[in-house]
Amino acid sequence: MTDSNPKAVGVSIKDVSLSFGQTDVLKGISLEIEAGEFFTFLGPSGSGKSTLLRAIAGFGPQPGGAILIGGDDVTRLAPWKRNVGMVFQSYALWPHMTVHKNVAFGLEERKIPAKDIQARVEAALNLVGLEEYANRRPSQLSGGQQQRVALARTIVVEPRVLLLDEPLSNLDANLRIQMRRDILDLQRKLKLTTIFVTHDQEEANTTSDRIAVLDQGIIQQVGSPIDLYDEPANRFVAGFLGTANLIDGRIEQGAFKADDGTLVPIPDNERKDGPATVMLRPQDLMIRGEGSVDKAGGAISGEIRHREFLGSLIRYAVKSGDHLFLVDDTHHAGHPVFTDGDKVSLCFDAAQVRILNG
Amino acid sequence: MGAFSKKHWGVGGLAIFISLFLFVFLIVPVVKVIYVAFQDPQTGALTLVNFIDFFNTSLFQESFFNSLYVSIMSVVLATAISLPLAYFTTRFNFGGAVLIQTLGIIPLIMPPFVGAVAMLLLFGENGSVNLLLDEWFGFTIPFMKGLNGVILVESIHYFPFILINLSAALLNVDRSMEEAAQNLGASGARLFRRIVFPLAMPGYVAGASLVFLKVFDDLGTPLLLNINNMLAPQAYLRISSIGISDPMGYVISVILVAFSLFSLWVAFLALKGKDYSTVQKGGGGLMKRDLKPWEKIGCYAVIIFILMMVLSPHIGLALLSFGTVWSYSVLPDAFTVAHYGNMMRTADSYINNTLLYASLAAFIDIILGTAIAYIVWRTKLIGRKWLDFIAMGAVAIPGVVLGIGYLRTFVEFNVPYVDKPLASWWVIIVIALAVRRLPYALRACVAALQQVSIMLEEAAENLGATKARSARRILVPLMSGGILAGFVTSFATASVELSATIMLVSAESDAPLAYGIYEFMQSAAGRGPGAALGIIAVLIVGIATYISHRVIARVEKQRSAGGVVVAEKNNPLKELTP
Repeated sequence: MTDSNPKAVGVSIKDVSLSFGQTDVLKGISLEIEAGEFFTFLGPSGSGKSTLLRAIAGFGPQPGGAILIGGDDVTRLAPWKRNVGMVFQSYALWPHMTVHKNVAFGLEERKIPAKDIQARVEAALNLVGLEEYANRRPSQLSGGQQQRVALARTIVVEPRVLLLDEPLSNLDANLRIQMRRDILDLQRKLKLTTIFVTHDQEEANTTSDRIAVLDQGIIQQVGSPIDLYDEPANRFVAGFLGTANLIDGRIEQGAFKADDGTLVPIPDNERKDGPATVMLRPQDLMIRGEGSVDKAGGAISGEIRHREFLGSLIRYAVKSGDHLFLVDDTHHAGHPVFTDGDKVSLCFDAAQVRILNG
Repeated sequence: MGAFSKKHWGVGGLAIFISLFLFVFLIVPVVKVIYVAFQDPQTGALTLVNFIDFFNTSLFQESFFNSLYVSIMSVVLATAISLPLAYFTTRFNFGGAVLIQTLGIIPLIMPPFVGAVAMLLLFGENGSVNLLLDEWFGFTIPFMKGLNGVILVESIHYFPFILINLSAALLNVDRSMEEAAQNLGASGARLFRRIVFPLAMPGYVAGASLVFLKVFDDLGTPLLLNINNMLAPQAYLRISSIGISDPMGYVISVILVAFSLFSLWVAFLALKGKDYSTVQKGGGGLMKRDLKPWEKIGCYAVIIFILMMVLSPHIGLALLSFGTVWSYSVLPDAFTVAHYGNMMRTADSYINNTLLYASLAAFIDIILGTAIAYIVWRTKLIGRKWLDFIAMGAVAIPGVVLGIGYLRTFVEFNVPYVDKPLASWWVIIVIALAVRRLPYALRACVAALQQVSIMLEEAAENLGATKARSARRILVPLMSGGILAGFVTSFATASVELSATIMLVSAESDAPLAYGIYEFMQSAAGRGPGAALGIIAVLIVGIATYISHRVIARVEKQRSAGGVVVAEKNNPLKELTP
């Protein structure tokens, strides 16, 4: 975001907590979202991601802490005074109004002169490619078109921040990919600060500048998609973004010893003694015939338990000690394929081993 | 091939039998009524002269406008009662919700005409309330004067139709609809006017047109309040005093049917293509907020006031049934159980007849209802939609019209063995009740059928059961809860039906309870026993309603717990794909 939109503003979330009755949904969340950024709240259902988004829009119970938009404290402001645009998971298009009326609604509430409304509604529908559909009812549109109307209805009022609450979850797989590209293009074009909520890591990875991973009302880690994947802070992030082989054990004198006795070489700079968990991604393990040793790192011997052919790769489940390792082996025609019961060695580069904090 | 054609013959034969029944007992009598209305009484030629006579007679003009006025004002008053109740329950976190739900049922367990006389004693010119008002404040309010009485009694009785529909419509508005508007800058009254109200409108219009229809067609209430210058009472009086050849009764019938069809059409238009039920997963209902203490007091005050109004027919009836003399006094002079003894001695045949007629009618209804539901939703029979349509059409036929049609059509048909015209044989009352209640039973059966996944029957067929056997062994047992609820509802409403039966009762010994109450209420001395009989009617309907609610609740519980009939919606393959 080098050439940022002069109107784009940042969002500061300061120690925000919120509970529904006895249940604490958000537990002291603090975040800085920068102007013009495409920022994602990623987490499983019940993690509090939607609740946090709704709190920014002013919906739900009054949270503790403070929410600042462009430096203004909006924590106690009514939803209709915040000027943040929200696209709802269900789209929430009003069925008794045409597409045009739906899109014009926010402008009418802002007392914009009628002739300007007409022009701006047309421009917004044009932007989402629905200028032909202005006089249709929402029920006469497909899911993808409804989604576009919902977007147009939100951006036409030029909100300070765009909030997207799982906007792709009601679309089928192909449309979802198309739509997420369109949303990203739109965001880049408008340079609008955007907060996107999803439980789908692929959606998050493909769109976001930065992601905040949430679980149980707590931010687990904030970072760019690649950072989160390569350097997960904890077991949860490691497992939620991609597949991870996790081994519990102890670091003793610069070496890692798993609870079942397996020795795993670790990068040289990791020296802290004590209990630890190490992670290896399936693609970091190379599957070799029994007895092979990789000079650069370690090798774990085991036995093939399952094999899934996934086209470009074969995913093996390899049993070693108490662990079941998932190993991705790139597939090429004529490449040797192991079968269940084969004894194999799993080789890896010690530099790929990650030591997790918890 | 053999089994295939046999199956077709079974369903086809059933369809033909049902069509014949509906043709003889619904279509022919109604067409006959309409035909006679357009027939010259002397020559038999088709003519509009009867309609011209009708609109040139000042009594009929007056009756026509009175009926319209009463129906519209009843809708207005019923709306005034329903609106705050619907608003409170859907808008606030509020402990009175159960109270309001109860309010939605209480009126329906008492037919309006039963409470009408009691309402006179409470709210009439010399009734309890006006006596008190006069004593304390020196003025009276003509609650029950003339048409006011009909409007008050009808709207207290029928407002639940609006309450239920309006509340359901408001509950079906997803809160994201409202949040989206707030997000774009709308709030308060504007939000309500532009988003919430339009979304709830179809539900309201549907409820309001039902109220209009019911009030426009009602015979019992104006008769018991002695208001004769309305359409339904005029039709009844013309036929019962002048005879079945008088054309005016038929003209009025045509007008009643036309207005019924019109209000159903309005309801249909309101709901057509406007399935505004927008509730999404995890959403539902408008945003609720907590009440401030003084708001809570206000809410309860309104609810208690309405509750008193709604309960007043019941209270009045109970007082009347236990009171000795009640005239020009706030309460009866003394209390006694003598009316009940009196009633039991003279009225046991009314009760027995009612139990017999209502259970026979309800039984016919669930048989027809289940069969029609099966034919329409589970077979590809040509014209099956028409069967559903015609059976539902009975909704548009007022009881008076059906009664007149039966009299006219079946007076010449002599039943063998009994040696009586069919029109004056007691069985015709059962058939009239069955036809009148069929639409409601049919809806219950269709609902029950639609909740059974077709896959459950396919599983049975896959294991070797024929269509007929899988229907009998799988479908009908799974529908039984819904069918039972349909039976009880039909039974309850048939047991207090007055408008059709009053036309068809030919001998005192054949008369059911509703007719008995009407007879008793005609004389001042009969009011006590009549009220006692009314209490019996309320008990029958109340108990039946309670049973049907229990049955429905049990079926729903079973469904959610055991998943007996829930179709598998999630694609299990989805779990396997990355």
